[in-house]
Amino acid sequence: MLILQVVSLEPAHGYGIAQRLDQISRSVVQANQGSLYPALHRLEQKGWLRGEWKQSETGREAKFYSLTAAGRKQLAIEKDSWARLAGAVQLIFNEGGR
Amino acid sequence: MIRKLANWFRREKLEASLDRELRYHLERRIADLERSGLSATEARRLAALELGGLAQVQEQVRDVWLSRWARDFAYDLRFSLRSFYKMPSFTVTAVLSLMLGVGATTAIYSLVDQVLLHALPVQAPERLVLIDWKGEHVVGGFGSWNLMSYPLCRDLDRQKQFFEGVFCRALTPVSLTAFGDAQPVTAEVVSGNYFQVLGVRAAAGRVLTTEDDGAPGANPVIVLSYDFWKTKLAGASDVVGRKLLLNSHPMTVIGIAAETFRGIDVGEVPSIWVPASMSGQAIPGFKDYLGLARWMQVLGRLSPGMTLHEAQTGLQPWFKALLREDIHRPDFPVITAERRRHFLNSSLVLTPAPQGHSSLRRRLVEPLWVLFAVTGVLLGLACLNVSSLFLARGSAHEREIGTRLALGASRGRLGRQLLTDSFIIALAGGVLGMFTAPIAVRAMVAYLPRLLPYGNAPNALHAGVDSRLLLFAVTASLAAGLLSGIAPAWQSRRHSLFTSLRERSGTALGGMRVRKVIVTAQIALTLTLVVGAALFVCTLDALMAKGPGFDTTSLVSFAIRGSQNGYSPAEGNRMIRRVDELIRQSPITQAAAIARYPLLTGGSWNNPMTILADKRIETPDDVNLNAVTPGFFETMGIRILAGRNFDNRDVRPPGDPGLRSAIVNETFVKRYLAGRNPLGLLICQGTGPNAKPNVEIVGVMSNFSYRGLREEAGQAYFPFLEGNDSGATFYVKVRGNPNTALSTIRAIVRGVDQTLPLVDFRTVSEQLDRSLTTEHLLATLSASFSALALVLSLVGLYGVMSFVVTQRTREIGIRLALGAQRWSAIWLVLRDALAMILVGIAIGLPLVWALGRLVKSQLYDVEPSDPTVIAVSILILASAAIAAAWIPARRASGVDPTEALRVE
Repeated sequence: MLILQVVSLEPAHGYGIAQRLDQISRSVVQANQGSLYPALHRLEQKGWLRGEWKQSETGREAKFYSLTAAGRKQLAIEKDSWARLAGAVQLIFNEGGR
Repeated sequence: MIRKLANWFRREKLEASLDRELRYHLERRIADLERSGLSATEARRLAALELGGLAQVQEQVRDVWLSRWARDFAYDLRFSLRSFYKMPSFTVTAVLSLMLGVGATTAIYSLVDQVLLHALPVQAPERLVLIDWKGEHVVGGFGSWNLMSYPLCRDLDRQKQFFEGVFCRALTPVSLTAFGDAQPVTAEVVSGNYFQVLGVRAAAGRVLTTEDDGAPGANPVIVLSYDFWKTKLAGASDVVGRKLLLNSHPMTVIGIAAETFRGIDVGEVPSIWVPASMSGQAIPGFKDYLGLARWMQVLGRLSPGMTLHEAQTGLQPWFKALLREDIHRPDFPVITAERRRHFLNSSLVLTPAPQGHSSLRRRLVEPLWVLFAVTGVLLGLACLNVSSLFLARGSAHEREIGTRLALGASRGRLGRQLLTDSFIIALAGGVLGMFTAPIAVRAMVAYLPRLLPYGNAPNALHAGVDSRLLLFAVTASLAAGLLSGIAPAWQSRRHSLFTSLRERSGTALGGMRVRKVIVTAQIALTLTLVVGAALFVCTLDALMAKGPGFDTTSLVSFAIRGSQNGYSPAEGNRMIRRVDELIRQSPITQAAAIARYPLLTGGSWNNPMTILADKRIETPDDVNLNAVTPGFFETMGIRILAGRNFDNRDVRPPGDPGLRSAIVNETFVKRYLAGRNPLGLLICQGTGPNAKPNVEIVGVMSNFSYRGLREEAGQAYFPFLEGNDSGATFYVKVRGNPNTALSTIRAIVRGVDQTLPLVDFRTVSEQLDRSLTTEHLLATLSASFSALALVLSLVGLYGVMSFVVTQRTREIGIRLALGAQRWSAIWLVLRDALAMILVGIAIGLPLVWALGRLVKSQLYDVEPSDPTVIAVSILILASAAIAAAWIPARRASGVDPTEALRVE
């Protein structure tokens, strides 16, 4: 879900995604860089990401991943279910805190 | 899944792309790290560490593309194909073995499926049942088996709590005139609800309904079969509504049945369907179809949710009441009190009939299962052969396998590789078998109709490959693959890594023990097949040696059926006398005679009889009856042993029926008269107080075959032309070539009546051949299958022995160098082979005994445990096996000691 979210902002290459994940989560989420690529390929296989070779910011060719329509839908679903889960957890904490 | 499979084929592109992607990642990371102040080597190390190993990531991504097992399988497949390509002789032998096995099994299964298993193409065939009578019949029947009366079918049809509907049917030969020529075809006489109960629709027009089966003779309508309409009437579009002549009676065609529907008998396909109310027209001389006569098979469709058992028990009270009612019918025959009790104890038996009713099935059910078992054994032998070949290859690759194990291949993975190998071989063999099977099936399908009395009926058998057959062949191939791969795979798990690497190539004995067990098993199985074939050949031989009891040289026969062609009985009788006279006068004729019923067709006119001697004797079983003209016995070369032959005293003018005299056979005298003098005794058909013996026995004839060669029944022959016979089978002893005589005879009959068809026109030797069809089939097929089995197991034995010799070359060389004799080298090798052959035979004998009991009913004049047959089979098998082992053994004796020791 995190990957989908990152890519939904703008198309990015593997290294860029790794960097962004690191930044956004302020190093709270320590994603192993090695498991990033199998995940990317699995998402591509499922048709949620599309990979294209494009010029990168350094001027070299890199594989840029972008969200497909199916990926966008999936992201919405996951966001929604996450929101519900988080909300439920919040409710339980509030209850316990009172 | 499909996309993942596609990944396999573009994996090179994927790999390259992944490689670039990861390299880009690493380079960017290194550059970033360097910018943050790390040294170049430090940055490189840290970047690689963060990623967690390039190869691992690549492998994980590959798993995403295509799961591990599928990738392994694809690699195995490629490896197998490459190794087969490199070993063509191994591959060809293995594939051919399985092709034979799968081909033979599939061919026989095709017949098993079509004749024994395949459900009718009608609605919900699984709810169809055959309703049969168990107990005492009081009224005679005509037709094939499971005979019931038409009124009983009507009554059963009203039992709606059990049945959705009950119909009846009977096959009968008729003469049909459509657009010109009269042709003999098979008609199915059916109750009006036949199509409706089966759920069969019309392809054109309409099918029969209950209204068509109304008052006797009131609805002259017929339905044509699709095949008949297509082939014989060229698919004429205007045929519905036209009138055709059925046995010279005009009948209106009301429709054509659905294309897929070919009646309910796979062996005899009717060309037309006739309502039972028209049975008087379809079966000349048959008047009272509403009476008690038994002539039809009755089938019903169970109501939804009704089980066969519930219906059977539920019907009995009603049936008992019906029987008690029957006894008081005016046309109920007068019988003894005991028979009446038996009659009242009769019950109805229901059997599942999703395949319909077929006399061909009845004839073939045992032979086909026997042959199917034989081909199963053959397939097993082929699998063992392939197994053995794999083991041999495995031994040759011992070092390679050892190396792979040492490099870390798992044993499971190696076993799977071997199974992949055997599945590929099996599928290749299976596909080839699929292509060869239809050829064999076509030959057998062409041969089978000879089993049926009316040889002109087409059948619904085909040699095509349908989805069921395909499924069977694929299953058989996969089973064969598994079976032949399992021993080698198991063997490979037992590899010891150390010994196989330490030992030098060519000395490992791995798999040898398993291969010897396999060859022993092959010998045992082959023995059963060879004995089986020998038994069937002996049976055929015994029947041929026994012969029909008359001389078939230059004898031809044909039938004419006057009543089917518009002749009244008296006219028909005059016509037959005319034909008889002309044939006798013809220069091609040595002698000629007529019989009412044909010989050697499997059927007969039969009845129990009452004999009036010093007391009344009732025969406990049926006596086979026939009527013949004076001169019949001379024409056939049958001897009169006592009394006199028929002569002109016995011939009566047309229209004066009644039996006066009879000639009985030796068996009749021996079986029923217990030493009394038969001459002058009075006999009659039927038993019971009403039977009045009034026919005098005037002579005794030697035994000869009437129904078939196996027959051992009593026979009584009456004079023909005593009265109203209007159908007849002619027997003509011709001069010169029987085939030229056939055209002369045809011309004579044409001269009397242009339109009269000659039925079953053939030489009597051919008829004799036909009567042995089942025996021929069993003998020929089992002999060829056992020959194949012999070849397969000899190949196996030869392979193992050659391998033994190769492996022991050094040992033999040393022995020879130390002064051993040549013959002792031969003995060294042959001893091994003899042990396998003897153990194989020892295991085979109990199998032979067990299988023998299964085929006993198919045999004639030979016991399944006949010592001569078994001894000869063992001799054939053992001598062939020793010959196969001899060749490698000879090679052993030719080993050059110096060469053998230098080989390393």
